[in-house]
Amino acid sequence: MRLWVKFFPRMHKYFKLYSVALRQEFAYRANFLTSRLRNLFQIFLVFYLWSSVFSQEQDFFGYDRARILTYVFGILIVRSLVLTTRATEVAGEIARGDLTNYLVKPINYFYYWFNRDIAVKFLHLFFSFFEFLALFYILRPPFFIQTEPVAIIGFLLSLIIGIVLFYMIVFIAGLVPFWAPEASWGVQFVLIFVVTEFLSGALFPLDILPRQIMDILSFTPFPYLLFYPIKIYLGQIGLFGILKGAFVGFLWILILNFFMKKVWAAGIRVYRAEGR
Amino acid sequence: MERAIIVERLVKNFEVTERNAGFWEALGSLIKPKKKTVEALKDVSFSVSEGEFIGLIGPNGAGKTTILKILSGILFPTHGFVQVMGYTPWERKESYLKTISMVMGQKNQLWWDLPATDTFELNRRIYDIPDRTYQKNLRELVNLLGVEKYVKRQVRRLSLGQRMRLELVAALIHKPKVVFLDEPTIGLDVIAQKKLRDFIKKYNREHKATIILTSHNMDDVIELCRRVIVINEGEIVFDGDLKDLIARHAKEKVIKFSVSSEIDTKKLAKVGRVGIAKYPYYELYVSRSVSKVAASELLSSFPVSDLTIEEEPINEIVGKVFSSNA
Repeated sequence: MRLWVKFFPRMHKYFKLYSVALRQEFAYRANFLTSRLRNLFQIFLVFYLWSSVFSQEQDFFGYDRARILTYVFGILIVRSLVLTTRATEVAGEIARGDLTNYLVKPINYFYYWFNRDIAVKFLHLFFSFFEFLALFYILRPPFFIQTEPVAIIGFLLSLIIGIVLFYMIVFIAGLVPFWAPEASWGVQFVLIFVVTEFLSGALFPLDILPRQIMDILSFTPFPYLLFYPIKIYLGQIGLFGILKGAFVGFLWILILNFFMKKVWAAGIRVYRAEGR
Repeated sequence: MERAIIVERLVKNFEVTERNAGFWEALGSLIKPKKKTVEALKDVSFSVSEGEFIGLIGPNGAGKTTILKILSGILFPTHGFVQVMGYTPWERKESYLKTISMVMGQKNQLWWDLPATDTFELNRRIYDIPDRTYQKNLRELVNLLGVEKYVKRQVRRLSLGQRMRLELVAALIHKPKVVFLDEPTIGLDVIAQKKLRDFIKKYNREHKATIILTSHNMDDVIELCRRVIVINEGEIVFDGDLKDLIARHAKEKVIKFSVSSEIDTKKLAKVGRVGIAKYPYYELYVSRSVSKVAASELLSSFPVSDLTIEEEPINEIVGKVFSSNA
């Protein structure tokens, strides 16, 4: 514990945040449950879609039935770890002037939301585990279980990269209201719901896209959110691919971090602390 | 005494975009926004000693809150020099943020859906308060404010007065040496206002905390602040003892009296300026030097049943300060 605090001197502030953030989630039980329900429906939809495809085909873009269904189920878990974030509230807090409350305290706003997110992610993970069991029982899909240590470690590593990347994307998008307080919702919608859903592999495995498009996509941060982690789990990406993906993902974290700091520094200079 | 706050030639300009109503105007402003510079603070200088309690007063939009926001590090100034307890506020150094607190009557930091104690606990971590100190501070604040009953209730279920007192606990749990209070009594009833004021006074005295208060509620200022800074349109128009402000601008006294039978207000106007004239209660403004003479004249020529001579209400004096400098 001591050593840990030494290396992350500011992190211990955020421990308490976990319990408070969780209780906050429980205060909005209905909200949380609907978001889980939406996730479930989506899984059903995608599951039956692919099931019907495989009722005629044996092999589809290199996916057999077990792998594609594992992909779909993998999405359930990986989504609730990567694509769940409360940082969507950053935009509103800046637009409404609630950021003021944080600025007068010795707290890092970026870490604050990141830690709140981690708490929420645990909650989602907990729920998705049971949903996973239930769905598994109902649908009885053929499931691919990965046993290769390299793939499992690679999977966990890529998950962490995905979580950090997505958080940073949403956080940076949340800074737009410093300059355009009215734009907050539109930016988030386009960025998170449209671009991410589509380009991260939440709806379909990205490698069914033409090779050139996939090549271009692999230079953006999006495939590293969902697609890469699951592909690694499925054992379809070798050690070299894992390292390459980790490298590109990590590079994006550095780029976004640099960018985020610049935007934040410029943002709080123009911040008006409106709304009194 | 040490100077806790030094403000020299502080200027703050805001860029605002303006547009007229209507769709085409909105479209036009998208392409080429009309920018206008608003001078919120023009060359403001003052200093505050450690432990001093000063009131910052002025009409809406005068720049009071802007000053507090710059002092607490939320806003960057356009230019000028500001130092609080040896720090430059907008650098927002951790050690600086630990020595200050900002309480805004219209903004809450308490988590709305949870009991206040959760926010307190969170603040304990944020401000790195040792456990024993935290328990001691909490007990003291909760007792002083009389909020034992409410700390475990969901914040959304509390009344504004209860909530505001808990906000104060959250804001002062780290025992800040400098406190900025922005309209702390807004929306509170008279009793709640009084409780809050008593507490703030005690906090200032016992912790030798430097406090700057902005308020539209003159009772706050009269009861709490010996020194006031009057600001209007981004400029300081008065800085000194509240007594001096009154002495300099209070040219009149008010004679408040009741009568036993109806009287002619025209006759009353010969004695002084009539304020309220609602039978049986009257208020008459007379110049300070003749107030006693006027009172005796009232007593002899009207059926007066009750009479007092009072100072002119302070908000009217402040109103005069603004208008004489506008």
